[in-house]
Amino acid sequence: MLLFRSEETVKAWCTARGLPVRPLINLDQLWFLAQAWYENRLTVDSRRPGPDEMTAIFARVGLTGPFWDPKADRL
Amino acid sequence: MDFDTTVKTAVYRVAAESARMPGAGEVAREIGAPVDEVIAAFERLHEKRLLVPEPGVPARVRMAPPFSGVETPFLVRVNGKGYYANCVWDALGVAAALHADAVVEASDGHTGEPMGMEFRDGAVVPVAVRDGAPLPMEAVAHFAVPAARWWADIIFT
Repeated sequence: MLLFRSEETVKAWCTARGLPVRPLINLDQLWFLAQAWYENRLTVDSRRPGPDEMTAIFARVGLTGPFWDPKADRL
Repeated sequence: MDFDTTVKTAVYRVAAESARMPGAGEVAREIGAPVDEVIAAFERLHEKRLLVPEPGVPARVRMAPPFSGVETPFLVRVNGKGYYANCVWDALGVAAALHADAVVEASDGHTGEPMGMEFRDGAVVPVAVRDGAPLPMEAVAHFAVPAARWWADIIFT
């Protein structure tokens, strides 16, 4: 998961590697995900979100569809 | 608290307090347990996707997300300490986990142009530094791998 100056450099990176351009997310969305995943990581009972929780977290910031489905088996 | 949770807590505590990743030996001394049992716990925590041992070196921790056990392009400065994060998401994750303001030093994944982010008062702002002067800049994150395959090769992801 990399940071890029713009969509243009994303496309250049993907082209250089023969990879498809995947969904881009902005820093506000990324910050939301970072908090949801990690704000309790240093507590004793911390754990990763389960698949359904992940789907709900992604949906909160508009990230929906098969790419964001942790249970999808074909993409 | 079960043994694996004790190991996990020790790894994360050392990583958060010292900005470096402990190995199995240090964790074993911290919690008073045999090293081989700590190494076994590392593997079980890996199965739960809470920790990634270094490939081929099971006593070392490659990732205790969001913290990295190796230098990466994502350096997060918090309270005078420098933490390496596994990726751009984890870079913000360090700030979230530590509940602190942070400055992230990174670079464009394609061009290598220095980029940065400041996290302050609950907001993230991308910045660029040219000749010492911070400038606002657009920035995006790219996920090359679908969510269902992140852990197929988490180091690449």
